[in-house]
Amino acid sequence: MSAALEDDARAESIRMIRDSAAAVAPPGGDLSRIRGLRFKAPGHDPATFRQLGEMGWIGLRVPEAQGGAGLGLGEACALAEELGAALVPEPLIPAMLSASLLAAVGAGPLEALLAGTALPLVAWQERADTLEVPGTPDAPRKFLVNAAAATSFLLPVREADRIALYEQAGGALTLEPTQDGGTFGTLTPDLAGASRIAGDIGEALALALDEAALLTGAYLLGGMERALAMTLDYLKTRSQFGKIIGTFQALQHKAADVKMQIALTRASIEAAAATLDEGATGDLRRATVSRAKARAAESAMVVTRQCIQLHGGIGYTDDYDVGLYLRKAMVMANQYGSATLHRRRFMATSPEGEE
Amino acid sequence: MDALRIPAPTELDSLEEEHFRQVVRAFLHENYPEELRNPPKRLHWSENKPWYMTLADKGWLCPGWPKEHGGLGLSPAKQIILTEEYERYGVARTNDHGIVMLGPLVIKYGTEAQQQHFLPKILTGEHIWCQGYSEPGAGSDLAALRCEAVPDGDDYVVNGQKIWTTLATDANWIFLLVRTDKQAKKQEGISFLLVDMKTPGITVRPIINLELHDEFCEVFFDNVRVPKANLVGQLNKGWDMAKALLSFERIFLGSPRQSGYALSRLRILAERMGVFEDAEFQDRYTRLRLELEDLKALYGTFVAKLKRGESLGPDVSMLKIIQTELFQRITDTMLEIAGENAGLLEPMEGNRNLHPTGQFIQARPATIYGGSNEIQRNILSKNVLGLPG
Ligand SMILES: Cc1cc2nc3c(=O)[nH]c(=O)nc-3n(C[C@H](O)[C@H](O)[C@H](O)COP(=O)(O)OP(=O)(O)OC[C@H]3O[C@@H](n4cnc5c(N)ncnc54)[C@H](O)[C@@H]3O)c2cc1C
Repeated sequence: MSAALEDDARAESIRMIRDSAAAVAPPGGDLSRIRGLRFKAPGHDPATFRQLGEMGWIGLRVPEAQGGAGLGLGEACALAEELGAALVPEPLIPAMLSASLLAAVGAGPLEALLAGTALPLVAWQERADTLEVPGTPDAPRKFLVNAAAATSFLLPVREADRIALYEQAGGALTLEPTQDGGTFGTLTPDLAGASRIAGDIGEALALALDEAALLTGAYLLGGMERALAMTLDYLKTRSQFGKIIGTFQALQHKAADVKMQIALTRASIEAAAATLDEGATGDLRRATVSRAKARAAESAMVVTRQCIQLHGGIGYTDDYDVGLYLRKAMVMANQYGSATLHRRRFMATSPEGEE
Repeated sequence: MDALRIPAPTELDSLEEEHFRQVVRAFLHENYPEELRNPPKRLHWSENKPWYMTLADKGWLCPGWPKEHGGLGLSPAKQIILTEEYERYGVARTNDHGIVMLGPLVIKYGTEAQQQHFLPKILTGEHIWCQGYSEPGAGSDLAALRCEAVPDGDDYVVNGQKIWTTLATDANWIFLLVRTDKQAKKQEGISFLLVDMKTPGITVRPIINLELHDEFCEVFFDNVRVPKANLVGQLNKGWDMAKALLSFERIFLGSPRQSGYALSRLRILAERMGVFEDAEFQDRYTRLRLELEDLKALYGTFVAKLKRGESLGPDVSMLKIIQTELFQRITDTMLEIAGENAGLLEPMEGNRNLHPTGQFIQARPATIYGGSNEIQRNILSKNVLGLPG
């Protein structure tokens, strides 16, 4: 295939993914399903999670030979963006992280996970704001998204100079509610009752975490786009002082600033997806992901805060949907690394002056 | 050390300022319930009533009212000292609309009969007031309000809707701006009316805010009969009266204490997250501190004006903008350093001092109410800088 044809085919593939997302992410922006699931365990609908499996999304990045779709990050980011626009609470990104890891080691409940009938969550995180995986055997594992729905936990555990992977069926779990209506779980590991399923997952997990960071940025991007769209609608219909408030230049300029943040985020995410799809590894991969995630985390907060302000009082109500985007940004902006963490990692992995 | 003697309420206005400050501190130490310090959310009447009643019993409830009406008769300067000390101690706001808004208005514009009827009932906690100004179509453009009062015999009949009415579910009386002349220029057809919320035809519906708290409400009026005697001031002069009241109130929205408190919580959080010593954080923290110090200095210049007995001009809008935006930047920084804790609904580790998300959400409406920051910037550019338009 010529390069141009290849580009066309790729664009078509991404377009198809976006269209298919409508099955779970209603394009009209009806968030009543999302509201109905808030603040009730587990924070999402297991039947819809199964649907993500049936759509082939959980295995989107998994090679075809292992039952996945074998698609690139371009497609995966497009999908995450669509789900972000609709605030889909089913934990696709954590599930894709698990799928990448299990596919890489060729073990564990991969098939059931891809089908959406199992949700093994990777319990990797020992503290806030990190991408490091120390694998301390008995350290509580934190910030497990909607963990009440997990069917098992995948525990990275340090053994000499390697990180092995254990699967733990249940376990002592405490849940804390999150702003978006879901929960963060903390798991106490119980290695005695767990089974060891792989011996060396360090590299595979690092790669999977990078992809999860990028997908989180894409999810946030979708939310920013929708929050701005809602805000523009409001600016075009609300009137005060006998004028549509969107005619006030102070507000026009704020909206224009929001648009620029979103444009930069999109450019950064799409460039990162393309760079990784072209096979970037090592420091280049890390720097590219960090650039995109730092931008997305910061923009998501700037954009959603500003959208509240542009609405006035109604933006400060729980009934009005724009606040749901702020809450989701609060929960996701720092997942898989805050802007500060990613800026620091970018500086460490992207030496200057080599162009 | 001997405990400071707390003088009778009638003596407070004559104390020297520093002495007065010490007295306020001692008073709070002695009387303020420890468990109500720095509450994470605005308290409902059921929660702040004990403190309200303590203030009422001690005669401290209404610092700004003249003594002959049961107040402390404090000068603006002393009222500011009192507020500063309350804020420093983390004293919760009560259902204070009667104390800070309605009372002063009735004292200034009400008839003797109205003063005798309404003021004592605020002082005893029998009447709890809420403020019914904003409407769905009249927020920043308050003068566009449409809720109307039509004369009928000895009554007005009120129809319409108010919104964003803070703590209306707690209140048994509401003060309203209502339209009484639809023909006049919009500011000139507005009157000020006092309404018993038990009157038939009133429906209150709480609105859940972003804190997931039922703090503000919608209030609906369906043929509500209000005695004409409840009109305050002259017919169609309600706008000027309400405006006169706002200018003194605006300095309180610029008080640096809110940001000061938030900054102290930011430090606790940064230490807990292990980033306080980071050079990058130190720079950001220092910027915020300097901004706070400069805000305090600017605030001080406005306080000094009040102490000299001068009134405040439109430039007081600067304080509100600077304070609220600093408050927001501090809480934005909290989320940025909190890692995944930035998504929690409740305080971290059950510790009220580690509640970045609560502070962050609380900071959001500060740039919306009390005249949004866009409106304050309009005031600055037109009324202070003299720009056209
Ligand atoms: C927490 C909270 C408590 C409140 N409590 C009370 C209460 O107890 N009683 C009461 O009566 N009201 C209360 N209010 C209402 C408050 O006064 C209004 O929300 C405020 O006046 C803004 O009006 P609005 O919400 O209709 O927004 P709008 O006026 O519709 O504003 C929407 C956006 O347009 C901007 N805008 C409007 N006009 C202009 C302009 N000319 N130039 C540039 N930008 C403009 C605003 O800044 C805002 O960003 C409360 C509000 C909040 C958030």
